[in-house]
Parts: sequence; structure tokens; C-alpha cells
Amino acid sequence: MRIACVALMLAAALPAFAQETTVRIHSARPFGYFVGDLIHARIDVSAPADAVLSRASLPNPGPLTGSLDLRDVKLRETSDNGARLWRLDLTYQNFYVALDARDIEIPGFQLSISTATGAQTVAVPAWRIGVSPLREVAPQKQEQASDYLRPDGSAPFVDEATPLNLAFGAGVAALLALALVARDRAWPPFQQRKARVFSALAHEISTRRGADDANLAATIQSVHRALDQANGAILLSADLPEFLRRRAEFKPLRVDFEQFFETSNRLFFGGESSRDDDAAEQLVQFVSRLARQERAG
Amino acid sequence: MNETLHVVQKLSDWRARALEFEQEIQKAVIGQARVVRLVTICIFARGHVLIEGDVGVGKTTLLRSVSRALGGDFARVEGTVDMMPSDILYHTYLGEDGRPRVDPSELLRHAETLPVFFFNEINRARPQVHSLLLRLMAERSVSAFNRVHHFPYLNVFADRNMVEREETFELPAAARDRFFMEILMAAPDDEDARRRLVFDPAFHDTETLLERVNSGTLDYRETPAVARAIQTHVRSSEALERYVLNLWQALVDPSSAGVSLPDVDLDSLVKGGASPRGLAALVRAARVRAWLEGRDYLVPEDVRDVFIEVMAHRIFVDPIHALRSDDIVKRLCRAAFDATPVP
Repeated sequence: MRIACVALMLAAALPAFAQETTVRIHSARPFGYFVGDLIHARIDVSAPADAVLSRASLPNPGPLTGSLDLRDVKLRETSDNGARLWRLDLTYQNFYVALDARDIEIPGFQLSISTATGAQTVAVPAWRIGVSPLREVAPQKQEQASDYLRPDGSAPFVDEATPLNLAFGAGVAALLALALVARDRAWPPFQQRKARVFSALAHEISTRRGADDANLAATIQSVHRALDQANGAILLSADLPEFLRRRAEFKPLRVDFEQFFETSNRLFFGGESSRDDDAAEQLVQFVSRLARQERAG
Repeated sequence: MNETLHVVQKLSDWRARALEFEQEIQKAVIGQARVVRLVTICIFARGHVLIEGDVGVGKTTLLRSVSRALGGDFARVEGTVDMMPSDILYHTYLGEDGRPRVDPSELLRHAETLPVFFFNEINRARPQVHSLLLRLMAERSVSAFNRVHHFPYLNVFADRNMVEREETFELPAAARDRFFMEILMAAPDDEDARRRLVFDPAFHDTETLLERVNSGTLDYRETPAVARAIQTHVRSSEALERYVLNLWQALVDPSSAGVSLPDVDLDSLVKGGASPRGLAALVRAARVRAWLEGRDYLVPEDVRDVFIEVMAHRIFVDPIHALRSDDIVKRLCRAAFDATPVP
């Protein structure tokens, strides 16, 4: 805070308080105030550690004298070297229209403090500041009254290019984002996008994990149906090369496809039981790979 | 238990020999791997074959190679419009003494040792001849010289002339249904095979070509037993049986199974065929294919791989589609496969 430490250090009224209760008044400057200026003052009151300040005794904002108003009162309570410290920030406003430089008085007030020994009163004394008169600037004599008028300040030049570019860029980015969302959700004009059958299947499978044969068989069947949908007709293992040629995005999964058909054939047609977690886990991974390739494609 | 192991071992040995048999045939008939595979399936399913194909694509060479590789005899007759059943059974000629003689025909003479009988241009022959052939195929026996002759190892291969319509007698539905498969044999697509067929002199002389084929790779006398073993050994799961029945339903009542073909009213398309005998043949052929692929259980690919060849000629469509029935039936079969989920 720019308030320079000035000024007044007063001993409190009672000798018992002499070492313990002090009042310090700080103000930014003690002179140079004009009519209408705000006067900031900080008053530090230090007291014994067990003292309690009565907030009702704080000065109330409002007119103090005919030409001085108290605008604002703020109280902070801290401790300083084991003593209680109240820091009172006061904002006054000066309405005294000075005709010459002179001092005016900021009136004092009293604070009530209660301690273990009883209630005490601490007086914040009046203090003075210097106020100065406002002097008119005497221009040269002009014939026309309008000659005293000064031209309006020119309007600052605002460069519109940058905000326009930014707005345009943001617009393009927004449209791009909208297009991406539309594609993801298959909104028009992306409604012709191939349905993401494997993504839907991966979601469906994740809700019904289990290693028993019936579940595995049902899962394999749903993978078959999804493959049929992706192929546009029933897909058997013999159709795999043709399918991978048409849907090149799935080419990297050839080995997984072959393994899937092998497992399916053994389970459904070979009469084998695949009661192991590996088959179910491999199936889940196969479907998630299919979904990933489908999104990439 | 030991018996089962013995059968498994025997089938495994026979599978190796069947694959070797295919290799032998392909020494003489190149670029026709699928046709050779289908013929092999027919031999091990004990089924008769209707071969459809252009002239000069190698049908006779194929069948003679098969006959040679099986180690048996080969008999062939040409269908003509004036052919009578007796022409197949009897050989009539004038003897050296000028008197007419009647001897058994080639077919009858080789009855016990004949694995391949080739009837060329079967649709040129009259229905009387067809009916004799039907009995020969169904019962593997004929009556001649006042006694019954048996053909224990016989597989009939018949060829249909698809070019001309005049003076031909289309096979009746019942006759077509007796054929296990109808195999389409076209000129090979492979450019290398085509070039060799045209420019390599080895392919210009059938007799020397046939000498490339090792005689007796398979013993035709064992095929009936092996065929029975295959049918009992190769399993079909409940899922597969359901699949085949669904396919059948899709053929008999396409619209109820969700099958649709553009420009064709499926409600009235199929007029007949797709008989239980046809479906049984389908499963027999699929089992042999599974065995040749080294499996002891059926998978849908086995069924689909042989489906058109086994089923298409047994399905009879509305006469309004008669002239393009082959195409429509094949499309119907494919649509049925595309609409029948598996497993």
C-alpha cells in the first residue's frame, strides 16, 4: 500500500494502558487535497491480546461535518507480536471549497474495547490535512465564444482486420466441428455413411461378458450377423478374400478373421466345447479391433 | 473303439489317394481343378453326373482319365434321335458266315468292371432310352439276354447338348432328379492353361495324353465301401442340419424366407423339385467334400460349395421362365444363401 507512514502516535488516555494500547494514524499525504478528493486513512489500534473491540463504536459512514463525508469503513483484525491489532481503513471525501491553502480537521472518534480488566475507551484523535483551492486556467481573450471550444479528440483508429480474421477462423472451426459431429452422428448429409455395426456390437458385447458356452455361442452368432450386415449377404469363411478385397480397411485383421471362423466352425459344427476364457476374450478383442478399423475406414 | 480307429485310418489313407487321384486327372485335364474336384466328390458319393459343356472342352478326356485312374473299363455311347434301348444293350452285326449275330454291347460286357459309362448327348436320345438309363442309374442293373446284369461300380456320366434344340428330347424332371450332380464344364479361364491347350502338342493327342495318368491310383472296387464309410463317419451338427433345412425352406417358399429376386415373382416361381432326394444328395456330396478337406464334420461351406451343382438341375420353375430357367435357378440359389443366416 502506498500509504506512507506518517504521523501520529498517541498514548491512550489511561496510564494503565500506556504500554499496551496505541493508536497510529497513517494517511497517504497530509496536504494537496482538492474539493471532491477521496482521503484514505488507515488507523492501527493495538491492544492487549485478550481485548475485544466493540463494533458498535466504529464510526458510521455518512456526513461528519458540513464539508466532510465518511464514505467507507473497513476493519481487519490481526495480531502483532502477541498483541491484538485492529486495522481500520477509512475513506473520507472532502467537499470543502478552499479559497486558499489551509488545514482542515478530520474529527476524532472513540472506540470501545473490553478487556479482562473491564471496558475501556480508546480515543482516536482528530488530525489535520491541507486542502488547496482550484484555480481556473485563464485562457487568452477570444472574440467568439465558440473559439474557446476545443475540437473533439479524434476517434482512435481501430484495425478491423484482426478481429474479422479471428471471427472468420472461429466460424470455420465451428463449421468444421459441426461437420465432424454430424459425421459421427450420421446426421444429414452423412446419413449415407456406413452404419457402424461393429461399434454397436462392441458396445452390446461389453454388457454381456461371460465364459459359458451358451453366452459364447450367442456372442459368436451376433458377430456373424454383424459380419453379414457389413458384407451385405451371409459371410462364410470362403467369402473372406472377396470381403477383404471390398472392405480393405479390415485387411490387417485377416488372421483374426480366420481364427474367428475356425472357432465358430469348431463350436457350432465340430461339436467342440470351447469353455475357456481365452476364446471369449479373443472374441471381445476381435470385435474391438473390428470397431476400430471400422471407425478408421 | 479299435474299429473306429481303423475306419479313421482307412479314410485318412483314402483321402490321400483321392487327392493323388485328382492330381493324376489334372495331368491330362488342365485348368479344370473345380470340375475334377466335383467329379471326385461324385465318385465317392456314388452319384451319377450330368455334364454340361461346349463341344471340345475335354469332357471325354476327363472321363477317360477318370476311368483310367480308377483302373476300370470305360464305355461310351452317343445319343442319336433313332437310338433304341436295345442299341445300348446289344451289339448286332453280321458274322463271318453272313448270319446275323447278337452279342452283349460294350456296356454289358464290362458290367462287373465298369466304373465310368459316358452317355454323350443324352438329350438326342428318345424317352425310351432315357427310361432304360433311369433304371440303370437307380438300380445299377438292366435286364438283357433274359437275365439281370448288375453294375456294382457304375457311375453314369451324361452330356447334354446345349447348342441345338431341334431333334432333341429334353430330359424329364424325374430323369434329371436321378442325376446326382450337374457339372458345368467350360474352357479354362487361366491364360496359361489356354495357351498350353492350344499350342502344346501333348494336348492334341488324347491317347498319349491319357498315358500320363497313372492307371489304378484308386481301386474302383473299393469305392462303394469307402463311400459308405464317409457317409457314416462325417458328422453333421444340429446347427448345420437347421441351416440345410432353412435353405430348403428358402428354395421351396422363397418369399417366406425373405428371399427376393429383382424382376421375378417368387410366389409362383418354383413349381417343383428341391425334393428330399435332392437334399439327401446335397448332404452326401457335402460330406464327401468335408472328407476331402480333411474334416470329420460338415461346415456350411461344404454345403454351399456343392449346392448349385447338386440342386440347381432339380429345381423346376414356372414355364414362363423356361428359356432362362438355368440362370434364374442359380440366382435363386445364391439369393437363398445370401438370406439364410448361419450359424
